[in-house]
Amino acid sequence: MTTYIIRRLIMTIPILLGITILTFAIMHLAPGDPTSLMIDPSISPEDREKMIENLGLNDPVHIQYAKWLGRMVQGDFGTSFIRKGTSVSEMIMNRLPNTLILMTASTILAIIVAIPFGVVSATRQYTKLDYSVTVASFLGLATPNFWIGLILLMLFALKIPIFPTGGAETLNAEFSILDRLHHLILPAFVLATADMAGLTRYTRSSMLEVVKQDYMRTARAKGFKEWTVIYQHGLRNALIPVITIFGLMLPTFFGGSVVVEMIFNWPGIGKLFIDSVFQRDYPVIMAITVISATMVVIGNLIADICYAIVDPRIEY
Amino acid sequence: MSQKKTLILFLGLMMVFSLFLAACGQETETGTEPEENDEGSGEEAATGEPQTGGDLVWGQTGSPTLFNPYYSEDTVSSAVENLIYDSLLQSDPNFEPEPRMAEDWNVSDDGLVYTFNLKEGITWHDGEPLTADDVVFSYSIPLHEDYDGPRASTFERIDKIEALDDHTVQITLSEPDAKFIWVGGYHILPEHILGDVPIADIADHDFNTKKPIGTGPFVFEEWQDGQHVKMSANEDYYQGRPYLDTVTFKIVPDANNMLVQLQGGDVNYWSKIPEGDVRTVKKLEDQGQLKTSTTTSLSYTYLGYNLRNELFQDPNVRKAMTHAINREELVEVILDGQGEVAHAPSSPLSWAFNPDTIQYDFDPEKAKELLAEAGWEPGEDGILEKDGKRFSFELKTNQGNKTREESAVVIQEYLSEVGIEVKTRVMEWSAFINDVQAPNWNFEAIILGWALGTDPDPTGIWHSKEIENGLNFVAYENDELDELMDEQIVEMDFETRQQMIWDIFGKIAEDQPYTFLFYPTETAAMPTNLHDHTHHPRNREYNVHEWWLEQ
Repeated sequence: MTTYIIRRLIMTIPILLGITILTFAIMHLAPGDPTSLMIDPSISPEDREKMIENLGLNDPVHIQYAKWLGRMVQGDFGTSFIRKGTSVSEMIMNRLPNTLILMTASTILAIIVAIPFGVVSATRQYTKLDYSVTVASFLGLATPNFWIGLILLMLFALKIPIFPTGGAETLNAEFSILDRLHHLILPAFVLATADMAGLTRYTRSSMLEVVKQDYMRTARAKGFKEWTVIYQHGLRNALIPVITIFGLMLPTFFGGSVVVEMIFNWPGIGKLFIDSVFQRDYPVIMAITVISATMVVIGNLIADICYAIVDPRIEY
Repeated sequence: MSQKKTLILFLGLMMVFSLFLAACGQETETGTEPEENDEGSGEEAATGEPQTGGDLVWGQTGSPTLFNPYYSEDTVSSAVENLIYDSLLQSDPNFEPEPRMAEDWNVSDDGLVYTFNLKEGITWHDGEPLTADDVVFSYSIPLHEDYDGPRASTFERIDKIEALDDHTVQITLSEPDAKFIWVGGYHILPEHILGDVPIADIADHDFNTKKPIGTGPFVFEEWQDGQHVKMSANEDYYQGRPYLDTVTFKIVPDANNMLVQLQGGDVNYWSKIPEGDVRTVKKLEDQGQLKTSTTTSLSYTYLGYNLRNELFQDPNVRKAMTHAINREELVEVILDGQGEVAHAPSSPLSWAFNPDTIQYDFDPEKAKELLAEAGWEPGEDGILEKDGKRFSFELKTNQGNKTREESAVVIQEYLSEVGIEVKTRVMEWSAFINDVQAPNWNFEAIILGWALGTDPDPTGIWHSKEIENGLNFVAYENDELDELMDEQIVEMDFETRQQMIWDIFGKIAEDQPYTFLFYPTETAAMPTNLHDHTHHPRNREYNVHEWWLEQ
């Protein structure tokens, strides 16, 4: 197992390198540069030229990449092109916790809701309950995040103002966990919807397979309570494929949070990324790409490890 | 039922709007930036005596970058700077310089020597007194060879700058510069803090982001990245303590979000509502949630032709195109009436605006005549042809600016009426600007806007020396006007200079290198109990220390 993990970790290096090279290339192929926003007769072309020179953008792209990589390996993401003097690590550290909080909350929410619903839906196949869960999850899958977000905002922040309209905390207020939670509920729920629906579907179909298995009948024959049969014998086996799917979902959490962050004014990394792309703030774009790529790779790794834990049959 | 329909319609619209997530309303700006400018419509008279207290939560779309006027480039940062720093002078409602920290100033007859006298008793937020050395220090930053910010060219005519005593600064220019007085609008930085920092390192200094110190009406409290910048009243402000306790700039991702926040009361001041959202905000006003104020903005939107392209080289063709576009209707339909038709590269607010400028009215028949005179005849499919070439071009504009996107479509319609084929293309801002600018000039026609500076100097946009590398994207060239532009900038007599600028703009209006589309108005939303607010189209933070909230 340890060798497996080490092997997997080593394999991530070329993957990450490939991703950074691609991002770097695309970024530099895209038209425009960090001074694009300076359209102002009082800024002379010479001034702009000098600024570009100072940012090191006149070097050939591969040299720029090498320099960037050299710094990155030492844990230095450099300083922002747009916010002079602010280190990229600092900008990201300001935002990353918020995104992680949002993602964790929505993941937990998705799991809490999806697994019981999936199980219930499978054990009572073709009942009204099953149909309702199926319809609800298809709706959840089909409806885009931003649309649900806007509707919830309309309903629960404006029409019936029980939730704030956005942000991570109340302005000018003392820090309080309750206040933070209050701000977290809507965005976390919206972010969770699509995955909730997906996970419910997967749990349901996986569970359907499992309930037909012989060992389930055996368990029942042995006189175990239905609850024990379903949740201890059945669910454990049903979860194996679900975990893989879940691992594959992690990247979408990251992408989906960008949209949710925009709608709910959530000060996370998604908004920072969008701003940086539009401003061509290369160091920030690169840093966020590296971090999110790493998270995706690690997410998949964790999924594989969990897989091994739940299913002792798997050997490495 | 009808209410339900409205809800569905509203949600549907929200959906569509939210597709343009970022990059809203980027406007090309011209002119010196942190200058304080003019005012438009006034406020109703305040009721009763000003009261102290209250918080203003001011919504801003866009994140600030750093709070140093010699390096920052974005409007949110300069809004913060306008509150925490102060300048020697600012522009009053009639575009005249008005004293701030300078008590008075005088200019020598030859226009070469400027002397500023500072007011006594001004202190920095940390208690140190302001002296003439601070001014010398600040203005010397962009003059230094290690300076790598964007403002070097603004200060380049300074030959010598010295403090005659603690309260007197003398600046000598290498040659006269009619707009030089506006350098006095640049904010002053504290020498006692930054004086020992090498110029090359000032841009990266912690001062700019963590603890900016100025002499302005508000003191910097904190900047929570992605959330807000908070400032509190400067108790020792030399013009008297501001009435508001705090001003918080709340960072909001986009206009849709701002509407929600405004409606929810989480934001109570929004200084520039996009034209398309004004109607929604006015509804909130009708419900008594807020009030609005409207003024003509110091900017114009235009349809620019690439004069390198044969299609547009004949002035009569350009005039014909202007005749073919119903700009009145454009303002009515797309701006929802929030603006007026433009005829020249100036704003009605400015002294550079000549009301007698030539105007090309909507007249499709005249347009067809002019085109026929220029040799364009309808081809088989109704599109004009000349020497086997079809009159067809691509019209580009930037994404995220709804007004421009919609204008492009309407213009396409109008021009097709006279037999001109237009293909529209909406592009992401940086990519668009990259195409438009030197050395690419990869466009046939564009829709873009210029926000104008306090001083109407036309050189930056219209001089032929700006074609190769500057902002004269369309390559407009007129030797006679070049000469006039060179002369007006050294002309120290106001009336003479005004006439020269009128002549320049008049000739440009006649030539139509652009079809001037409209001057949009600018609407701000604010709390109903805000008083003594001046709506300034260029300097939205104009005299914030005078604003007060009825408690």
